Amino acid sequence: MSTRRGFIKSGALALFATGIGGIPTFIARAANSGKIISPYKKSKKLVCIFQRGAMDGLMAVTPFTDDNLKLARPNLFMTAAKGVSNSPLIDLDGRFGLHPTMKAFEPLFREKRLGIVHAVGSPNNTRSHFDAQDYMEAGTPFNKGTSSGWLNRAVGLLGHDGATPFQAVSISSSLPKSFYGDNPSLAISNLQDFTIQMKGNPMASNMAAKSFEELYDQTSSNLLSRTGKESFDAVKMLQKADTKHYKPANGAVYPDTQLGNSLKQIAQLIKMDVGLEVAFTECGGWDTHYNQGTEAGAFARNVGDLSNCINAFWTDISSYQDEVTLMTMTEFGRTVKQNGTGGTDHGRGSCLFVLGNDVNGGIVHGNMPLLVKENLEDGRDVPVTTDFRSVFSEVADSHLKINNDKVLFPDWDGKKIGVMKG
Amino acid sequence: MKKYSSVVFILFFLIGIVPILSSFTNTDSLEQFTSIKFPYKKAGLTERQAAAHLLSRFTFGATPNQIDEVVKLGLEKWFEQQIDAKLPDDSLNVALAPYETLNLNNKQLINTYLNSGQLINLAIKEGVVPKDSALHFEYKNHKTQIDSFMNERGLKQQQELVRQLIGQKIIRAASTNNQLQEVLTSFWYNHFNVDVTKDNATNYVICYEKDVIRPNALGKFEDLLIATAKSPAMLTYLDNFRSVASMNNQGPEAAAKILKDLYEQQQQMRAKGDTGVKYKELGNRINYLKNQQGLNENYAREIMELHTLGVDGGYTQTDVTNAAKVLTGWTIFPMNDNQGLQGIQKMIDKVGIEKLTQQGYVHDGDFMFAINKHDQTEKVVLGNTFPVKGGVDEGKKLINMLAHHNSTAHFICKKLAVRFVSDNPSKELIEKMATTFLKQDGDIKQVLTTMVTSPEFWCKNSLREKIKSPFELTISTVRALNATINQPYQLFNWVNRMGEKMYHYQAPTGFPDKAQYWINTGSLLNRMNFGLALASQKIPGITFNLAALNNHHEPESMEAALTTYCKLLLPERDVKETVKRLLPLINDPQLDSKIAAAGKSVKNEPEHPAMSNDMMMTMMDSGVKNDMKGKEATKRNDTNNNKQASLNGTVAINNNMLSQVAGIIIGSPEFQRR
Repeated sequence: MSTRRGFIKSGALALFATGIGGIPTFIARAANSGKIISPYKKSKKLVCIFQRGAMDGLMAVTPFTDDNLKLARPNLFMTAAKGVSNSPLIDLDGRFGLHPTMKAFEPLFREKRLGIVHAVGSPNNTRSHFDAQDYMEAGTPFNKGTSSGWLNRAVGLLGHDGATPFQAVSISSSLPKSFYGDNPSLAISNLQDFTIQMKGNPMASNMAAKSFEELYDQTSSNLLSRTGKESFDAVKMLQKADTKHYKPANGAVYPDTQLGNSLKQIAQLIKMDVGLEVAFTECGGWDTHYNQGTEAGAFARNVGDLSNCINAFWTDISSYQDEVTLMTMTEFGRTVKQNGTGGTDHGRGSCLFVLGNDVNGGIVHGNMPLLVKENLEDGRDVPVTTDFRSVFSEVADSHLKINNDKVLFPDWDGKKIGVMKG
Repeated sequence: MKKYSSVVFILFFLIGIVPILSSFTNTDSLEQFTSIKFPYKKAGLTERQAAAHLLSRFTFGATPNQIDEVVKLGLEKWFEQQIDAKLPDDSLNVALAPYETLNLNNKQLINTYLNSGQLINLAIKEGVVPKDSALHFEYKNHKTQIDSFMNERGLKQQQELVRQLIGQKIIRAASTNNQLQEVLTSFWYNHFNVDVTKDNATNYVICYEKDVIRPNALGKFEDLLIATAKSPAMLTYLDNFRSVASMNNQGPEAAAKILKDLYEQQQQMRAKGDTGVKYKELGNRINYLKNQQGLNENYAREIMELHTLGVDGGYTQTDVTNAAKVLTGWTIFPMNDNQGLQGIQKMIDKVGIEKLTQQGYVHDGDFMFAINKHDQTEKVVLGNTFPVKGGVDEGKKLINMLAHHNSTAHFICKKLAVRFVSDNPSKELIEKMATTFLKQDGDIKQVLTTMVTSPEFWCKNSLREKIKSPFELTISTVRALNATINQPYQLFNWVNRMGEKMYHYQAPTGFPDKAQYWINTGSLLNRMNFGLALASQKIPGITFNLAALNNHHEPESMEAALTTYCKLLLPERDVKETVKRLLPLINDPQLDSKIAAAGKSVKNEPEHPAMSNDMMMTMMDSGVKNDMKGKEATKRNDTNNNKQASLNGTVAINNNMLSQVAGIIIGSPEFQRR
């Protein structure tokens, strides 16, 4: 166990260039207080991906033996049966089939590292993307006024003081609701841009950076001063890192997509040992009202990208796999029936993926009923039979060793469903 | 005491009479506003402070000396001019003259600006590119043939249209005299958001902003709502153009059953190896039926959730489904010469437009109401019954109902107050505005007037309360520096990097209008970097003269420079603390030589846009070949610096110092606020 002083003395200070304003304030503060922090290296890391737009869970992981689905989706239904189509679903367990473009997930599922939860969603039946995303990210499905996000609260519950600015990082152009709250968190759209730079003039950059640090320190706007401080602290830590020439390990190849680039940067941060514990990123294009396609098309491209990106990430961080759990989420699912324009409208239950060595994988968890009309929510949608909070809280509790669900998810005391081991 | 108060009375009388007198010279349209009075004095603001606040809310940022101009004209009078939006814009029109897309209608744009896929398909169809070429869908493999084909036909690349869309917006926002109209155009575009990358919506966005949003930005809300509802951009973006009554009005179950049976037949035939004529005919029939399609709820939901009532405005899922039925058949009149047009034209020729109109068919500009796609059944939305066979009128009735709904008044007024007052406007203010909205038939001018004459607008805690969006930051900088924009796309790259890729927001919500959305660690650093890059003239195609801003008076010391430029760029703000904090850093006697030396030692490289697509845009922007760009831009910068230096008779070192100071002010927290 090292102390902060020890940590600083032990040469970690070399991480921080003294050029811009010297030592990050959090290090200085901690050095003065002499508080103990846990070493960064072996901390557990939770990586979350929000699929904005509501993924069609029935097409990602299809209950292909259910004829009701086939009837409801004459143009969208796919089967795992061989010989009917060139690319049948990947039969997971005789009942559920993975979309053929998600073949990168198959080995992870067979190795029991990848778990799937189906018919999961929010108890609030709103079919508004924006409300449903807010509710899910706040973790309070019936309270619009919640000002903090569940992942921010999770950071507060980690049980160790001693955050670096990189404890919670979102690779996105804006800070997601999940990260709103009292605990510091970063939004970074691109690690390479994450510095004060005047092209070709390091001296002027340096002087400008010091000036900005002074100004943001004194401003009367809390948002600006707090964000400014977090930015400068993080910049100082990143100064020595070579973010431009990153080479993924083990021959991992990230798709050249937004999600691929985001996950690559998360992998970079994990391997830099900067104290990352909660990471977040997002991807869009799931709102498939029109021409959703089957084995090819818009949806196929999206799920293919999702699985290929996650697989590249998992390959890249192979020596850190014991420390990392990855979870996907989406605000709701889509109608059981196809709509009039070759797509699906807003529905209720969808599915999510959890990947990690602690995951109770190789199983499609949850309870997907037969899709006859009387089983459907409002006669049209996959009923939500698993509350998203039961999965989120189990993953956070088990992986990050958080066990204050009252704070993490107020008003929630539901059961866990066994998606994690032990 | 008595004497004093009578003086005050006379003074007030005089102040009161000036607007009344001036009203005689006003045009008719201004008359209704002549009695307005801004209560800023009660809030403890000076006239100049009030003018600065007014400019921060109703423009994209004050230009040098604009506060003086507004004070001279009178604050109320200035607002009246803005709300009337009829100021001449001659120099803007000159600047926009090269933007040829602004003179074309949707049909011309659709048929002129093609994406690579459309170009290659057309080239194949016309025999310019061999059909059997295995590589035929690779544009780059046939560039020469296609380029000359495009020349011959007057065709252009679609990305040129997007480039013009972005360029004209930046130039207009920076220089129009009718600033409020443009601020509201941005506001309403964001409210009725359309993502320019959505399939097939791209070419409609130019006219959407120009003909649908801007002319209605200061009109009646219902006119704006119906104009968006009928616009090809919105009909495409939220899928309503394809939303039709289920097959022969049989209901979705029956329709799905028919298709299912046909699919089974198809499968059986395939299994038997029977793939002859009959199999093909069956396939055609399935495709035909698939195109008959059915209901799509996307637009019906968003018109209620996002455009009018708000998510808590009191509608249900059943209301959404029924509203979607009401709006079936609201679609686009086919205008693509290469597809679809013949069919509808054939129908018109065959049946005759009169007969079709009698049957309920409507053709109005780009809009078409296809009665044969309309759901003829009875529907109930929000408790109102729409009887059978309501035709196009039931959609109009629905929109009228939504536009005048109490929830809509509150939802819209809150959004306006958030844009123009603060992130958390008071309930009282929203209530006042909503009352005007309902009483005045959703007249946006009247609603804004209610807002700006309310004490809440002027109270001290709304001053500087808003954080500029990246676009607002960029344009306010350009305006404050009186900069010339030769390459607007360069500014777009920065706006994008700071988190606001304009016209590209995917979700129909538009960008959230709150500080927390814009300010985060990554975007904040980019705001600072933007200030530094712009001020040091490292953004190609954006030029200005810092010395001219101060009438070529050379500041006597760094302290003087700092104070002077703080006041120029942040007029009517308290800059004491800023100066105090910066002075010790800037006052390093060796600093100017250090900066100059460091600057010289490295090549003066222009900013490079991040993506290859942007590179192409940049190339088009500057009108020079890509490999020339760096050199040209550098040369231009150098010339500029020299010119500046010779103008004020100082050496380049001081220019560097001034740039540094200006860059820090632009990146400072105070400049992020408005």
